[in-house]
Amino acid sequence: MDVQAVKTQSLARYKEERDWFALLAEAAKQMPTSEGELQVKLLEILLDSKQTVVDCVENDKPFIGGYFCNAPELFHAMDLPWFMLMETPFLAASAPYLLNDIEGAEEMGMGTDLCTAIRLPIYYIENGLMPVPTALLGLLYPCDGAPMLHQVIEHNKVWKDVPIYACDPPYTSDERAVQYFAEELSRMVEFLEKHTGKTLDVDRLKQVCEESNRTYSLWQDYNELRRSVPSPHGWAIGGAQAFAISQCFVAGDPRCSAWFEQLCKCAEERVAAGKGASDQEGWKEKIRLFWFDIMPYGWIFEYMPWLESEWGATIVMDMFGNFPYTLIDTSSRETMLHDLAKRNLLDAPMIRQARGTAENFSNDIRRIVTDYKIDCVIWPGHMGHKDGSATIGIMRDTCRELGVPFLHIGLDLFDKRYTSIDEVKDKTSDFFRGMGLA
Amino acid sequence: MAAFDRHIRDVLEFSESLRRTGRDCKQLVYPEAPDVLRSTLPISVGPGANPGIILRGDTFVELGNPTAGSCSSLLWSDDPSLIRDGRITLLGPDIPESGGASLPFAQVLMLAGERLLPMDHERLQQAHIVGDQIEGYMVRSAAENIWSRVGKNAAQRGFNFEMLGKALLSLVKCDVKGVTAMEILFVTTSKQDVKDLSEVVYSAKEIASEILKETWKERGYDVDCQFDCASCHDEEVCDEIRDVLVTIKREARTSDAAAGSEPSNPIKAELNS
Repeated sequence: MDVQAVKTQSLARYKEERDWFALLAEAAKQMPTSEGELQVKLLEILLDSKQTVVDCVENDKPFIGGYFCNAPELFHAMDLPWFMLMETPFLAASAPYLLNDIEGAEEMGMGTDLCTAIRLPIYYIENGLMPVPTALLGLLYPCDGAPMLHQVIEHNKVWKDVPIYACDPPYTSDERAVQYFAEELSRMVEFLEKHTGKTLDVDRLKQVCEESNRTYSLWQDYNELRRSVPSPHGWAIGGAQAFAISQCFVAGDPRCSAWFEQLCKCAEERVAAGKGASDQEGWKEKIRLFWFDIMPYGWIFEYMPWLESEWGATIVMDMFGNFPYTLIDTSSRETMLHDLAKRNLLDAPMIRQARGTAENFSNDIRRIVTDYKIDCVIWPGHMGHKDGSATIGIMRDTCRELGVPFLHIGLDLFDKRYTSIDEVKDKTSDFFRGMGLA
Repeated sequence: MAAFDRHIRDVLEFSESLRRTGRDCKQLVYPEAPDVLRSTLPISVGPGANPGIILRGDTFVELGNPTAGSCSSLLWSDDPSLIRDGRITLLGPDIPESGGASLPFAQVLMLAGERLLPMDHERLQQAHIVGDQIEGYMVRSAAENIWSRVGKNAAQRGFNFEMLGKALLSLVKCDVKGVTAMEILFVTTSKQDVKDLSEVVYSAKEIASEILKETWKERGYDVDCQFDCASCHDEEVCDEIRDVLVTIKREARTSDAAAGSEPSNPIKAELNS
């Protein structure tokens, strides 16, 4: 395929994905609840973001490919549109074509033991289904699988000439490491300025970081509300969306803070009324669950509602809803880059666990179980999260000390054929029964 | 176990230096048993004592908002003579006189017990997660530092740092086995003082990480292992299985096409490398 063919084909797919979200937004508009309005607002931000990328591709304007942990506040401050290379598995895994795409990736010869979230973008790049950006930010962390994507890009006819920069993540997590990563971010800004023609104005960055601080403060306020018994929200609202809104589209935009304000308002109303995650008549929260991973986006609608209705189990906290962040000191360019480095090297979800030291697993479990009154911890055991699988023993021992049951399943969060949903449900049910949680 | 002894001495010296430079300082000593301490408190202490959450509108004072300054540390030693058991030191304004304020806040818990060992470290660290155990007091769920709220109802009943300190002394001494002495330092003077204190205790975090790594290793979990596909004896077998799977899938597609049926995947997997 030549450049033009890739442009046409990728644009068609990108628009297809955009239209899928537009359809979801229409459906959400039919929900006459405050939570329904929240979904609509989130999808509007997402659609706006997608449309901006479409406009860039169609009109040859600069835009970049990157990741949520590349300090997206910097992109926003530079007025630089971007999309996430792993966007489909992270944000659009409910799209109807997902399983076909996974099949296609398998046909290319990629091992079924390679994380599906990495296999899919490789498949999209190799088959001309992903828009080719002006410049690209690579990811050398959290896992060894992510750099495989760069190896593919290096050899792809259309992508190989796209300039690429990847921040080098140090192994340690001390002050020296944060300072080093801040310098890496500074070099990333120079790279983006060189290849996109956009510039970073410090005053604008300060404005964006201050707004980002407002967003994150509201997120923490919201998380406190989830400590209530019953928790005002479960899997359907709050956790994953909070992550997406704060890090995946326009980080540090007033619309994001406004979304969180409404989220807090919704949750406060539910807490005041003593309402739990479900509005189903007679429903009661029976099990408070910590789902220690990404949500099973590929089959979320087939599993999560079942957990709630069948067992009264509420996902009170999950890996992406967790809030380990600290705010950004906006007093100078250096302090902002330093604190963005800390957030993106040490705190961002999955990065915190997979790049981080194993103590993050045990420390987070200890804090979350106590603060959120968790009844049990589920480590889904996503096939791509081999780093986490290496710490299952630590997690289990920590839970044992805390007196909280721990379940490790073993599945693919995006591909429901890996472990069938029935099997996952069976394992979950046996666990709840066996541990006397039901 | 002398890993944190230097930090404990530095914290006490820091506290003393602030007192000497004229900061408001209040010191109280309560070496009593946990149940005696608890019985003197006008608030409940223990699991479920603060069942709800304290909303912004119900907050009398906020402590340790990151914009105001925040620091939290837990240090321990097997030498009880390093600390004065039951001592609570407050440097800076107290809660009752700070209604509506957002105070900078540092909290250092210093624990000691002759039988404490590195393997106890993780259990000891758990001690500062108070959860719902102090009525009228909510510590936000944050991975670093400390950010908390005192409710208006508790403030009306005189909630102050003396009560908070007594509650913490009682909870830790009661729940954490092996702790025979405990001292607490609270600082609310200024953001700069809190920042200076956090620098005093900073290196304790790195030592704590090393202790954890070693104790997990003793329990059979080596967190620094070096193992990947390239170092695995079965790499060839995995590669062969992968090739077989690809062949099967491609043959299935060919036979589907020959039979005239729709392929399961509408996108042709043409590599662009």
